[in-house]
Formats: sequence, structure tokens, C-alpha cells
Amino acid sequence: MAKRVLLAEDEPNIVESLTFLLERAGFDVAVETDGRKALDKALADTPDVLILDVMLPEIDGYEILRQLRADRRADRLPVLMLTAKGQREDRDTALECGADLFITKPFANSEIVAAVEKLSDGRPA
Amino acid sequence: MESSILGTRIRQRRREIGLTQAELARRIGISPSYLNLIEWNKRRIAGGLLRRTAEAVDLTVEELDDDTGRRLLDRLSEIAQLPELADVGIEEHRTNEFVGRFPGWAQGMAALAQSEREATVRAQIVADRLSNDPFLSETVHRMLTRIAAIRSAAEILSDYPEVPQARRQRFTDIVNEESRTLTGIAEALAAYLDKVEASDRKLTPVDEVEALFAERQNRFAELDAAAAPLASRLSSLHPGGRRDEARALAEAHLQEIVESLCRQPPIETAAARARARRRLMDYATGAVLMPLADFVSRAADLRYDIEALAEAFAAEVESVCLRLTALSPGKETPRFGYFRANAAGTIIEMLGLEGLTVPRYAAACPLWVLYRAQGSPEAVLPQRVLFPSGARFVFVARATGVGPSGFGRPRHYVTDMLVMREADATHTVYGPDPRALVEEVGPSCRLCPRRSCLHRVEDPFAE
Repeated sequence: MAKRVLLAEDEPNIVESLTFLLERAGFDVAVETDGRKALDKALADTPDVLILDVMLPEIDGYEILRQLRADRRADRLPVLMLTAKGQREDRDTALECGADLFITKPFANSEIVAAVEKLSDGRPA
Repeated sequence: MESSILGTRIRQRRREIGLTQAELARRIGISPSYLNLIEWNKRRIAGGLLRRTAEAVDLTVEELDDDTGRRLLDRLSEIAQLPELADVGIEEHRTNEFVGRFPGWAQGMAALAQSEREATVRAQIVADRLSNDPFLSETVHRMLTRIAAIRSAAEILSDYPEVPQARRQRFTDIVNEESRTLTGIAEALAAYLDKVEASDRKLTPVDEVEALFAERQNRFAELDAAAAPLASRLSSLHPGGRRDEARALAEAHLQEIVESLCRQPPIETAAARARARRRLMDYATGAVLMPLADFVSRAADLRYDIEALAEAFAAEVESVCLRLTALSPGKETPRFGYFRANAAGTIIEMLGLEGLTVPRYAAACPLWVLYRAQGSPEAVLPQRVLFPSGARFVFVARATGVGPSGFGRPRHYVTDMLVMREADATHTVYGPDPRALVEEVGPSCRLCPRRSCLHRVEDPFAE
């Protein structure tokens, strides 16, 4: 069975490209465009990797991450954070909140695929 | 602290005209010891006594007791209180003496303090804007997001040629759609930055004076009208002599107009007023030397040849260049810009031209003939230039010796440079031969995208 990625991102064109790429790389991709729903789905389904945009409607990416890390169901869920802000404090905040990896937009496609493969590696399929 | 320097002014004036304290006291009918107290600002002076004193030292009451001195005293007192000067040991109790004895130095110090304050404010505004401006940070975020979408879709198109046509079309559409959105965001950003720049333009005295000249398009009709009749009074045949005569005439007859221009917006600060006064007096001197109506027709006849015009009006090339900037541009009359630089490459005077980007507070591109001209003093050197924006200009530069000369003495030069659009240059003697070399130049390294330029000394801001 393919490994499952939850993509929490509200930009439809980025969602379309990332879905295409991850599916090509053999992942099952589910998408949520709103922070609240992304949090609920991550807790309910525990995907193999969560790709989490920082700027999401309803609840932002940092808050989602804090809540995930405080919940036993998702405290070890591998999370890749995406943001358009490349400033040092954003990276620090993401890592403090418990992100495993952090990539800034605009990214190279290969960077995202490699990061997801790395994070999903070692998790039972 | 006694906030009057009137006594100091009286003492200084009395000494200037060679009167003893006893003699002045006798003439105004008071005892020398009382005059001594007045002169040391320990007794106030007003009314009839002040009038008599002014008369006795050949001044009007207004000349003797001007507000400027008192305001200056207040400003210097403020400077003395600045925390960063606390350890310097400023002799605050002698400020009135300082202002009275060295008014020029005192003015200079107040002007420096003012420009330091303004520069600090400007730096803070810029720093604040960069770090806190919500519009900028939101815009950068939106641009990066759009770029991310474009890059990702473009990479898919390039990396997966086997994808069916319908799917490829979808990614092509994403690139198109996102590029259009990105263009809109970039345009909004450019408009915003323009607005920001316009609102900040007058933060320093230099900016205030530039704003005045820009508003008037370098032309002051009231000065031209009043200056024209004075031209017939010039008698010297030598350019230097004529300039001095013209300046004396301008100072005697055009001072009031200059002052009134200096009191109006956009001139707001004292430092800007002093600078505007100097610049307008230069303008007025040029207007006496080369009355506008005559200058307009001679300039057209001589096809704007700066040397021929200098000869025709027995004026200096520098004055001719400045005067040319005052012409109203027309079908066959170019709009001229003017730059002046010293041997260190600092631009010391600038009347810019629309479309010609130049750094406001740094040296320009070293490839400009403005700098090369110092190697061939007194020669008029034209240069045909192409800017990275595609704009084409003709520069005409000439380095002139300044200061005293004589055998064995070092010679110092400043360069005057006239600037015009290449299309306009065809109406002048400087219209380039179509085969003439076009030199690729830039505004300054910081603002120039020509990465492979051999003369680059700094990276562009965008790095």
C-alpha cells in the first residue's frame, strides 16, 4: 500500500502541482485547504507525512503543529513545513513548534519530493 | 540663561567700526559702565536707547536686533542639552557670546545639527518601513507564493514530457494565470514605492531645494523678469568680472524676490532656506548675465553650443550650462539636465532629467564622461550613452580649473556636464554621428544590472 501524505495548503495551483508530483513519486495524497479541517484530518487519519503551509485560513500552521505535538495520536507525525517567509525567525518558530523539516517558497520540486521521501522513510507502509 | 545676544551684537559692531566703549557711551548718553553691562547682556536694552545705539553704530534697529540671532541662540541651547554631547563640556553659559561673535559658525553648527536629526529620522523611517510595513511584507509573501506556483508548474512541464497533452495544458495555464497575477502584484508594489518616495522626497534640506526647482521646472519667471533690465548695467568684458558684477546687481536688486521664494513651500527648514538662497542667487546672477529672451534666441542660433554661448555672453561655461536648464523645452528646444562633480567623483550640483536615474547620495557610474573629463581639462567631451533601461542620452562634459593658479601650485578641477536625451541632441551641435560609439553605462553600481561590467565595484541592491 502506498504511503499517505496529507497536504495542508490553500493555494490551488500549488496543490495541483504538488499532488501531481507526489502521486508520480508513488504517494497517496489527500488535500485540506483550511487549517481547522487539516488539524482534524491529521489527528483522525494520522498520515505518513504532513505537508503544512504556515499561512492557512482558520488556524495557522504553527498552531496546528503545537496542537498536533500536544496530542498523543500525532506527537511523532513527520511534518514538513512550507512558508513564503524565509526569515530566520520563521524557521526558528517552525522548528520550536516541532516541525521536522522546513522549506521556503519558491521551492524546487525535487526538494519537496526528496523531503517527503526522507520523512516517510522508515515508517511502515 | 539670558536669551539675548543683542549686547554681544552691539559690542561686536562697535569694534567693527572702531568705536571705543567710552565714545559710544558718550554718543548715546549713558555711562561706560552701564554700556559695559549692556554689551555683556547683563542689562536689557530697548526703546529710545536701542534706537540711539543703532543709529550710533550705523545700523537700523532691525539689523541690530534681529530674530534670527535669538532663534539661533535657542537652537544652540537645545544642541547643548543633547544627551550625546553631555561629556563634551559645552560652555553653555557663553552661547550668546558665541552666536554674537561667530554668527556664521553658529548657523553652520545649527544647520549640521538639523541635518543630522533629519538624517536620523529618515534612517528610522526606512528601517521601520522595511521591517514593519504590512503592505510590503504581505506583498513579498504574495509574490513568493505566485513564484512558487509558477516554478513548480514550469518544472513539471520541463521534467515530465511524457505527460498527456490535456494535463500539460493545465500546467501551462497555471504558468499563464500565475504570471498575470504576479505582474499585477509587481505593478501595485511599484506604484506603492513611487508613492512612498514622493511623500519622503523632502526629508533633507537638499530634497527641499530640489523639490523647489523641480516644481518650477528650473525656471523662475519672476527673477528673469526683474533681472533682464539689469543686464545693460554690466560693464566688464571679462567673464569673471561680469559674473561678479552680475552677482552684485542680483544681490542689490533681486534679494527680495529670492527671499520670498525661500519663504514659500516646499522650503520649510532653515538649512534648506540657506541652500535655496545660494542656488537662487546663482540663478539670479545667470539671469542678469544672460537675459532669458536674448538667451533663448542666441542658444537656438548657436545650436546650444556651450562654448559659443559662453563667448557670446562673455560668461563662464558653468553659468551657461546652468542657464540652459532654465529653457522651456519645446519642439526644437531640448530639455537639459546639469551635473557638477569634483575630482573625488562627488556630485556637488545636480539638476536631473526625467528618465535619467542617478544615485542621490553617492557617486554615479564611473564610465560617465563626467569623471573622464578631469583627464582632459578645458576640453569639451561629448559622450553617447545607453542606460540599462534602454534610455539613450548625450552627455557633454568639461572640466574647469577652480581656485588660484600659478607656477608650481596644484591645479584643481571641477567638471560641468550637460545632459540631454539623444533624440533632443539632434537640435544641438552635440547631435551624435550615427556611427559614433554608444557607451553602455549605468546609474551607479548599486542600481545597475550589468553584471559582467569590468568596472563594477559593488553588487546591485537586488542581490
